[in-house]
Amino acid sequence: MGLGNYFKDIKAGLTSAFEGMSISLASLFVRPVTVQYPDVDVKSDEAMRENYNGPLRGMPDNYRGLLDVDLEICISCKLCEKACPIDCILIEDVKIDKKQIVGRNGKSTMKMKSPIQFDIDNSKCMFCGLCVDPCPTGAIVHTNEFEFNRSDRSQLISRFVKADDRAQLKVRGAEIAIEDAKAKAEKAAKKKAEAEAKAKEEEEASKDQSEAKGTKE
Amino acid sequence: MDILIQTIGDIINADLGSPLAAFIALLLVSLAILGFMSLTAGGLSFIERRVAGRMQSRIGPNRVGPQGILQFMADGLKCAQKEDLIPDGADRLLFKLAPVLCFIGVFGTFAVLPWGNGFFASELNVGLLYLMSVTSLVVIGMLMAGWSSNNKWSLLGGMRSAAQMVSYEIPVALSLLPVILLCGSLSFKELIGAQGAMPWDWNILNSPFTFISFFIFFLAALAEGNRTPFDIPEGESELVAGYCTEYSGLRFVFFFFAEWANLYVIGAVAAAVFLGGGHLPFGLESDIVSLLVFFAKSFFMVFIIIWLRWTLPRFRVDQMMTLCWKTLIPLSFVMLFGQAITLLIYHELTFLQSIVSLVLFAICVLVGVKFVSRVLVNIKEQKYKMMHTLTGS
Amino acid sequence: MVKEELKTEYMTINMGPQHPSTHGVIRFVIKTDGEIIHHCEPDVGYLHRSIEKIAELMPWQSFIPYTDRVDYVAAMNANWSYCMAVEKLAGIEVPERAEYLRVIVSELNRISSHLVAIGAADMDMGAYTPFIHALRERESINDLLELICGARLTYNYMSLGGVRFDAPPLFKEKTLAFLDHFEPVHEQIHRLISDNHIFQKRFRKVAVVSADMAKKYNLVGPNLRGSGVKFDVRKDEPYSIYDQLDFDVPVGKGFEGVVGDCYDRYIVRAEEIRQSVRIIRQCFDKMPEGDIAAKVKRVLKPPAGHIYVRTETPRGDAGYFISCDGKTSPERVKIRTGSFTAMSIIPELAKGLFIADLVAVIGSFDIVAPELDR
Repeated sequence: MGLGNYFKDIKAGLTSAFEGMSISLASLFVRPVTVQYPDVDVKSDEAMRENYNGPLRGMPDNYRGLLDVDLEICISCKLCEKACPIDCILIEDVKIDKKQIVGRNGKSTMKMKSPIQFDIDNSKCMFCGLCVDPCPTGAIVHTNEFEFNRSDRSQLISRFVKADDRAQLKVRGAEIAIEDAKAKAEKAAKKKAEAEAKAKEEEEASKDQSEAKGTKE
Repeated sequence: MDILIQTIGDIINADLGSPLAAFIALLLVSLAILGFMSLTAGGLSFIERRVAGRMQSRIGPNRVGPQGILQFMADGLKCAQKEDLIPDGADRLLFKLAPVLCFIGVFGTFAVLPWGNGFFASELNVGLLYLMSVTSLVVIGMLMAGWSSNNKWSLLGGMRSAAQMVSYEIPVALSLLPVILLCGSLSFKELIGAQGAMPWDWNILNSPFTFISFFIFFLAALAEGNRTPFDIPEGESELVAGYCTEYSGLRFVFFFFAEWANLYVIGAVAAAVFLGGGHLPFGLESDIVSLLVFFAKSFFMVFIIIWLRWTLPRFRVDQMMTLCWKTLIPLSFVMLFGQAITLLIYHELTFLQSIVSLVLFAICVLVGVKFVSRVLVNIKEQKYKMMHTLTGS
Repeated sequence: MVKEELKTEYMTINMGPQHPSTHGVIRFVIKTDGEIIHHCEPDVGYLHRSIEKIAELMPWQSFIPYTDRVDYVAAMNANWSYCMAVEKLAGIEVPERAEYLRVIVSELNRISSHLVAIGAADMDMGAYTPFIHALRERESINDLLELICGARLTYNYMSLGGVRFDAPPLFKEKTLAFLDHFEPVHEQIHRLISDNHIFQKRFRKVAVVSADMAKKYNLVGPNLRGSGVKFDVRKDEPYSIYDQLDFDVPVGKGFEGVVGDCYDRYIVRAEEIRQSVRIIRQCFDKMPEGDIAAKVKRVLKPPAGHIYVRTETPRGDAGYFISCDGKTSPERVKIRTGSFTAMSIIPELAKGLFIADLVAVIGSFDIVAPELDR
């Protein structure tokens, strides 16, 4: 180690520390970037404008928070259930009285079924948004709600169908099922009767034919 | 001190110099110092965290008390409630003793530290020597902590601290020698008394050699106090937490108590020896005012230490030893000889000293101006400019 | 006289799985002679989540969020590799606007990933302030990516055939404003730490990887380029629209010491950030209007066959090998990542280094634990 290196070392150390210290002192006079989260409403545009200098203001429209389901327009097609990579959506449904609904995208669809159980397990959900994409009516959407600490793990499961509604739907569903079954039975009976009648006719026709044949002979 | 003993002696109706009066006086003074030390250490821990926060564009603790000023109390209370863990296979006696030794090493130094120009807890004529020797206790404490923890990271940390602190005591002592030459005393009172009020009357600007000695002292003291860039014994990213890895609860607090109190000690010694103590120009001097000036200078030095910590990275163990043995020690020897020769020259040409001091002062001012301009440039760069004008989410 | 023999033995230390500087759960079993490492054995697998096996149970689209988790520091780039592999397999044409959007988000993500790499290396060296300054800038990038895709870390932004969301209004203006702000601040961070003498002393001439050795150990990405080998998948086997963009491939030149030392690997990343800024600016100039995704069948059944696609992620050349038997999910997916190969060279490099240097080596290789184990 020559004497030149020795002084070069000292000089480099001092000058770089000089510049470094000027930078760290400079940050002492620049406003901190911290947003004091529970005090500041991070969802609101105005509050963020006052408290944050970054590119973001409030929450973006496509923020992927907790999932929400609009049961009015859910047609229980179960596409979301199939799309979910971790199976955190559970749907059970019953038939309901047919009704016309208008989806979030403005298209109207016939609603034939309604879920009696629509559970999303938020402890599993990874907020990928794959369930939102295929939904034909836009019933399942991400909200900008991101606080979901609960005291119990079972409370993490969002159950969208209320117990009353479920009971009602179940009752009505059972009625519809009975009606359907009745209708089906009637239909089947009708069909059977028709088929029988047809068979009879055919039989008779063939009989007639054979008779005719016989008479011919 | 004598006055205090006398007053107490008067109160309890004892003769002057009675052991009881002296004992009570000692007790009172130690308790006062202990109180001051705890408050300083706690306050410094809070100040350090706030300063670090702002340097890193954060806020820092601001929840407990107004602006978070009671944070250190909350932390202390929290630590007091923690379980006092002693690891299996640890040397229990040494393990318990180590934090106490660290604490004593730092607490002992407060005995001789000046409080302004007039107050001293104990006016030793070998004050500086005593201070340097009593801080060596800290090394033993850390080595003990590292050894007794029965943890390999702690052991490495303890070994590192032993190597580091033993080495760095040499440059600390050597860099103080030029000033001792200059003032001809080891007593803090005389060291302070030999300096004047204006910056060019301070020891640091006496000659280029004392000027450089100051920086050597400052760096070496940092290393003795285990502060970044020399926080190798703790070396968080390398050794987990170094010698105090296994400590918890109050014992852990003791180590940090000692560390932060040590910050103040470094600042106070630098202020007393190099930066003119508590002198104030224009006849404004009184005991109380000098105390305040002295505190201001000490805490400014502490602020610089904190500031350095949050700027610089850490040395490697061998580089740190190289810095000590190959850079600082030779340099401080040169400074010692240089100062000796300078003193001879000054003796012949008395006017030269004021010229040198004024030139050095001018250089300092120039560097300061340059520094401020760099800071302004950096502030401008760091501020967010464009985002405000853009609207919409 | 009795001749006493002093017996010495190496000290075996566990560095990890919980250690501040291993960046996740990695374990190194090191045998040291005091501070000097004699032998180092990396132990990986603590973060194994069998992502490759999960792919075999998933429909093709549903696996994309899992690729986020392969490398969560640069999730966009991991997304892209997989999507590109499946698109090539199924013969899906990606619209041009989608390609531009993909390049923009990936380069933004590359900047943020390199900022983490640089910051973490600084933090390992004991400098916290530059780390937090780097993360402060990364936060703005997260904001931008949140604007475009609604998530801050695991983006799941790309879909088979394109991207899932178009750029929102003001995205371009905000990104450009951020870049204007970022460039001087990035230089400032480097003045604060990379020019620092102590930092350079810690990094230069430590763990030198020669070009031959780098090739032999199959290093990729910035680690390879740090050794002076000019190879970048974006340039040498251009995919997407990289052949229409103008950028340089930075290589290590021995900036403060020898070619291929820690400092070279570190500074190559800094230079790549500057190149990424250039790329993003060009993309915004050239970006056409149009569709953002091709129509892809919901139940995708690509023709049987194999494909291997490589892309340049921040941690180097990421390869996705997909074997398809014509069903609705892959037959086998093999992910090749840069961190894993970087890990394999560490035992060789660690011999004779200080413990503190090992930390520097891990930091300079920018090892991300989840990418290591998958």
